[in-house]
Amino acid sequence: MPIGQLLVEGLAIGACYGLFATAVVIIYKTSEVVNFAQGEMAMFSSFVAFHILSVYHYPFWLAFIMTMIFSILLGVLIEFLFLRPAKHPSILGMIVITLGAEMFLMGLASWKWGAEQQHFALPLDQRVTYEPVSGMVINNWTIAVLVVATVVMLLLYVFFKYTKLGVAMRATQQNKLAAKIMGINTGRIFSFAWGLSSLIGATAGMFFASRAALDPVFMMEPFLRAFAAAVLGGLMSIPGVIIGGGLMGLIENFFGYYWPHWKPIVAFIVIILVLCLRPSGLFARHYVKKV
Amino acid sequence: MKLRKKVLFSSVAVLALLALAITAFAAAPIGFDDKEIRIGQWGPQTGPAAAWGNVARGSKLLFDVVNEEGGIHGRKIKYFIRDDMYNPAQTVAVVKELVERQGVFAFVGGVGAACGMAVKNYLAANKIIWVGPSAAYNDFVFPVNPYLFAVYPLYKDEASILTKYIVEKLKTKKIGMLYQNDGYGKDGLSGVKERLATYKMSLVAEIPVEPTEKDLASQILKLKNSGAETVVMYVNPTAAVISLRTSATIGFKPQWVSSNTLSDYGLMYKITGGLWEGVITGAFAEIVDSKHPLMVKYREAAKRLTPEERWGVFYYAGILFADPLVEALRRVGRNLSTEATLKALNSIKDYQSIGPKITWTEKIHQGTDSVQIHKCGPGASSIMLQDWTANDLATWKK
Repeated sequence: MPIGQLLVEGLAIGACYGLFATAVVIIYKTSEVVNFAQGEMAMFSSFVAFHILSVYHYPFWLAFIMTMIFSILLGVLIEFLFLRPAKHPSILGMIVITLGAEMFLMGLASWKWGAEQQHFALPLDQRVTYEPVSGMVINNWTIAVLVVATVVMLLLYVFFKYTKLGVAMRATQQNKLAAKIMGINTGRIFSFAWGLSSLIGATAGMFFASRAALDPVFMMEPFLRAFAAAVLGGLMSIPGVIIGGGLMGLIENFFGYYWPHWKPIVAFIVIILVLCLRPSGLFARHYVKKV
Repeated sequence: MKLRKKVLFSSVAVLALLALAITAFAAAPIGFDDKEIRIGQWGPQTGPAAAWGNVARGSKLLFDVVNEEGGIHGRKIKYFIRDDMYNPAQTVAVVKELVERQGVFAFVGGVGAACGMAVKNYLAANKIIWVGPSAAYNDFVFPVNPYLFAVYPLYKDEASILTKYIVEKLKTKKIGMLYQNDGYGKDGLSGVKERLATYKMSLVAEIPVEPTEKDLASQILKLKNSGAETVVMYVNPTAAVISLRTSATIGFKPQWVSSNTLSDYGLMYKITGGLWEGVITGAFAEIVDSKHPLMVKYREAAKRLTPEERWGVFYYAGILFADPLVEALRRVGRNLSTEATLKALNSIKDYQSIGPKITWTEKIHQGTDSVQIHKCGPGASSIMLQDWTANDLATWKK
């Protein structure tokens, strides 16, 4: 059994799930809404990057920066156009609105870029590999995703724990009315959360696209896994979701090596078991709201 | 008294109109008239499988060429394409609309086994002919459906022919297989195993993948550790891309061999960033730049009539799947009817256009068991490795 290689591959895809799961968690932390358009927002931003690269032939890093700006605007715009106009929406109502946004983005991408798969590559040749330990091959994509996921996790942890804006976001999630009374502009908080979430989602989307192929539905499956990773780690904990993603990647790869038939569902079985024992996930503290 | 008269008069008028309408409908020949023959096709023009929507548009090119040449015995083909979004429920809706409102005579192509299965019985019950489903599915043709005629070679036959090539021409001893965990992948697996059994060989690894999986690292590692020199894959295009990319990252370089579903080299080369070069595939049609006279004719027509379309294998598959119906309609002559067309289709023997030879009888509606073998060359070029070859192990012919 190639333990070293399975470890590398499991951690790499797990970091990708974890990175994307943080995007889900940021919106959830602010509004308790699970954003079902998260995958399609990342897909759309990845297509924008693809468009800048393949039509305008800009250098990758310029395209990357432009895409990041676009993804922030996209997040802000979706919150402003789809969710904000809803009058006194319930959580379920908001979730349904995000489903509508998902369909809208998917249709728009199909119309603009067609349904055929497209090639999307990061400036990291995956064929360039390193073997630090015998039987443990690491490539540039793996290194990049591990570094980016770790950096994003650390930055977000510090942000939510120690910055005023981060604390304001947490306050908005726990009690929107009280936060408003305390002078927090909750409208801006929501816009910021959606923009930040879209930015991180777009980064994860580009990692996924460069590993597979770009098409209007390519983020549906990663979204489900990232959401599961977020639930496993605890929907309120940033380090928790990254660890949840890592665990998910490792479980899938080790289990999938021996029992490939079970690979797609094993992680979900583990999640059900974990949630039976710890309903808030592995790393989130359970809290009860008074009604 | 006046009111009674009015009611009586109105009733008689309504009844007379109804009677006229019924007579008019009864007199109208279903599916065709003196000037046109109505033919339909469903296909995903939007949605997750829209990349295969070009099959339906390829058939349109054939009908446009036929119409340019004067039609069939004085009748032009009126062609309807309907978008079913690869959703069987939607397929039922669009097929019913075409049959009951547009009055189509026959269907051609039709992407998707599940979509086809959703309407197969409805079409047969309404005596609507269906030629060339754009999927190889055993349940379409076994047991024989009098109204359904398949052109697409079965995956099992293709896999068997490919395996024979791997063993006898590539001289590979260790063969692994990556297959989609559904009818398509399992048919391929069955064909590979059946052929290997004749050499007293077995697969060194047989690994299933789910169609939606985006991480295949553990599967590819297992193939690598099995020592497989050649890997046969019956998966979808995205899974193929992930497989090749993952293999490249872990230094696994087998000879990849794949089904005809991945024989669109233009697409596969592009989305794998060139990794598709060297991959061997089965093929149900001539190579993309073939010098075959019909290929030249249709390629030129496509440049002229549909310059926006990419001349790829699934586009001209639309021609291949629809062509036998055109041939049957020509054989029928001016006295067109469903029965006469069925008779003509059942008499087609060794008929060849841009694909394999097609033969149908009243008892067998699977038209062929032959494929070509191609290889992707530099710049997505196609290299012919083996011409049309039948599966000598196919039992359904006997």
